[in-house]
Amino acid sequence: MEILAEGQGAYLPPDPDGFRAWVRDNKPRTLVPKMLNEHEAIEKFVSDGDYVAYDCNYFQRGPSSLIREVIRQKKKDLWVCGKFTYVALALLVEGGCATRADIGFVGFGPWLSKAVAAGRLRTYEYSNVVMTYRLQAGAQGLPFIGVRSFGGTAGFSQSGAKLVKDPFSGKPVVLLPALNPDVSIIHVHQADVYGNARVFGTGISHVDCALASKRVIVSAEEIIETDEFRRDPARTSIPHFTVDAVVHAPFGAYPGTVQGRYASDVQHVVECFGGTMRGDLQPYLEKWVYSVDSHDEMLEKRVGWKKLQELQRRETIREGYSI
Amino acid sequence: MTPATHFAEREHLICAVSRVIEEEKSYWVGGGGEPLYSILLAQRLYASGVQYMTEDGVIAPQSMMPWDPLMTMVASRAGYRALQWGTMNTAGNFAQLGYVDVGILNTLQVDRYGNINSTVLGEYEGGQGRRFGGPGGADTIAAQCWRTILMTDQQKRKFPERVDFISSPGFLDGPGAREANGLPPGTGPWRVFTPWAMFGYEEKSCELMLMAISPFVTVDMVLAEMSFEPKIAPTIETLDPPMEEELEIIRTQLDTDGQTTGRGQWIEKRDGKYVFAETQGRE
Repeated sequence: MEILAEGQGAYLPPDPDGFRAWVRDNKPRTLVPKMLNEHEAIEKFVSDGDYVAYDCNYFQRGPSSLIREVIRQKKKDLWVCGKFTYVALALLVEGGCATRADIGFVGFGPWLSKAVAAGRLRTYEYSNVVMTYRLQAGAQGLPFIGVRSFGGTAGFSQSGAKLVKDPFSGKPVVLLPALNPDVSIIHVHQADVYGNARVFGTGISHVDCALASKRVIVSAEEIIETDEFRRDPARTSIPHFTVDAVVHAPFGAYPGTVQGRYASDVQHVVECFGGTMRGDLQPYLEKWVYSVDSHDEMLEKRVGWKKLQELQRRETIREGYSI
Repeated sequence: MTPATHFAEREHLICAVSRVIEEEKSYWVGGGGEPLYSILLAQRLYASGVQYMTEDGVIAPQSMMPWDPLMTMVASRAGYRALQWGTMNTAGNFAQLGYVDVGILNTLQVDRYGNINSTVLGEYEGGQGRRFGGPGGADTIAAQCWRTILMTDQQKRKFPERVDFISSPGFLDGPGAREANGLPPGTGPWRVFTPWAMFGYEEKSCELMLMAISPFVTVDMVLAEMSFEPKIAPTIETLDPPMEEELEIIRTQLDTDGQTTGRGQWIEKRDGKYVFAETQGRE
C-alpha cells in the first residue's frame, strides 16, 4: 500500500496477535466473582506507565470515584485517552499521574498550557471520533481502521495516522492505528458480581473500551443478580468475560450525573472547572481526594446524605433508563 | 414578528443562524451554546420538525431546557425523548455515511479557506503556545457533514490569514485539497456567521466571501476586524435584526441566565438606526 503522508506522533503500537494471546492467557471464561473495593481494584489493575482509557468523563457518567483513587494512589507516567473530557485529564496531570495524552477534547485553561510548556504533559492530537474509531478497531481485533476524516489537519501531522492509497479504489484514505489500552475504567448503571454490565442512555465508547482493553475495571451504581441479565439479555452492554474487577460505587460518577439516577452537583462542578480555569487544582485535590481515604468517606464527610438526596430528586427524567 | 430595539450581539447571531436552518435537512450540533440555541430556536419558530443529533449519539431529541452547566451530552435533559440513543461512533457513522447535511460549530479561529483551529494559539511546536481543548467532534463534523456552519466573533485575531493549527478541516489549501487528503467529495465549509456578518465561500477559489452584514455595522468595520481581505460578494445584503418573538424564546427558554449571550456588546435602535448601545445587559 502506498503511503502518501504520515503523522509524526508517537502512538501505542497496535498488536492484535499480542492482544489475542493476552485474552487467551488472562481473561477467565467462566463466571468468576470479581468484586473488589476501589483501593484493591486500582492497586491491582492500574500500573505505572499504563495507557488508560475511561469512558465518558468526570462530569457525565464517568468513573469519577476511581479516577480519584488513581490520584490517591499516586500512579505515575500514565498515557491517557483524552476523548470527551472536561477535567479528568487536568486532575490526573495535576495529581502527578499522567504525562502523555491522546487528545480528542479536553477541558482547557492555564493548567494545560503550563503543563505542556513545562514538559509535564506530552500531547498527541486526534479528535473525539477519531479516538473512538481507534478503540473500535481495537475492539474488533484489527490492526487499523480507515476513516474519511482527519486527513489534511495539523492534528494528523501530530498523530500516528497515515494517509494511504486505498488498494481497492486507488483514492486517498486515512488509516488510524487501532487502540488497545492497558486498562479501561468504566462506570455503569448496573453490574453483577461477575462483570456483566448495563449502561442505559447514550455513552461515548463504553462497549469498545471494554472489548479493546487488556484490563477492565467496572464500577457500578448498583450490583444486581445475574438472573436479571438472563431475564433480559438484550440489555447487557458489556459481557462478564471482558471484565477483571467490579467495584460497587453508588454515586460513583459524583460530582457528575448518571442519567436516570442523579443530577450533577452544580456547585462542585463549578468549583472543579473553576480550578482548571484558574490553573490551580491543588486545593481541589486536597479537599476532595487526598484528605479522604475513600469514595465513601468523601461522600460522608464532604458531600452528605442531604446533598445526595437532592441530586437524586433533581434527576426527574426516568424515561428510557429502565430503573 | 416585531423587530427588536435592544439586544445582545450574540442574541442576534443566534437568530441569524436559526433563520437559515431548513426543516428538510439534518443537523449535527457541536456542544452547547450558540450552535445548540440556534437549532432550538429554529425548532420553536421556523422549522418545527427539524432533526439534530449530538456527539454522544443522541438522535432527534426533544430536549428539556434549561440544562445544568456543561450538561450538554450524556445527560438526561439533553437527550430527552430522542428517537435513538447510541454512542459517539453512531454519530460518526451517520456523518460518514452521508446522512448529516449540516454541522453547526463554534470556533476559536477560522482562516481564508475555512480551516478551524481549536487546539493552540501560537506555535504548537515547542509547547509555548496557548493551548485549547482540541477539536472534540468538530473534526468529524467539518470533514463529513455536507455543509458546515461556523459561529465565531468578529475579531481580527479570530480571522487570521492562516490558522495557527488546523484542528478541523476547511478547504485546507484550496480546491481539491480535501479530496486529496481522503475527505469525502462535495463536503465542506458553507457559512461563517459572526454577530456582525455572514460569509460564504467563492465556489471557484474556495475562499471566504463576505455576503451580508448586520444592520449596526459597515463593511469597513467588518473588514477592519479581519487579518485578511476576504472576497466580497457582488451585492452585500443586510441581515435582519432579531425579532422580539425570537428574543423572548432565547431569554425565557434557552439561555435563561444569559451565560452565553450575556457577553459581547449590546445594540439598540436610536433615531431609527441600529447602533451600539450605551447600556449593556438585559433590562
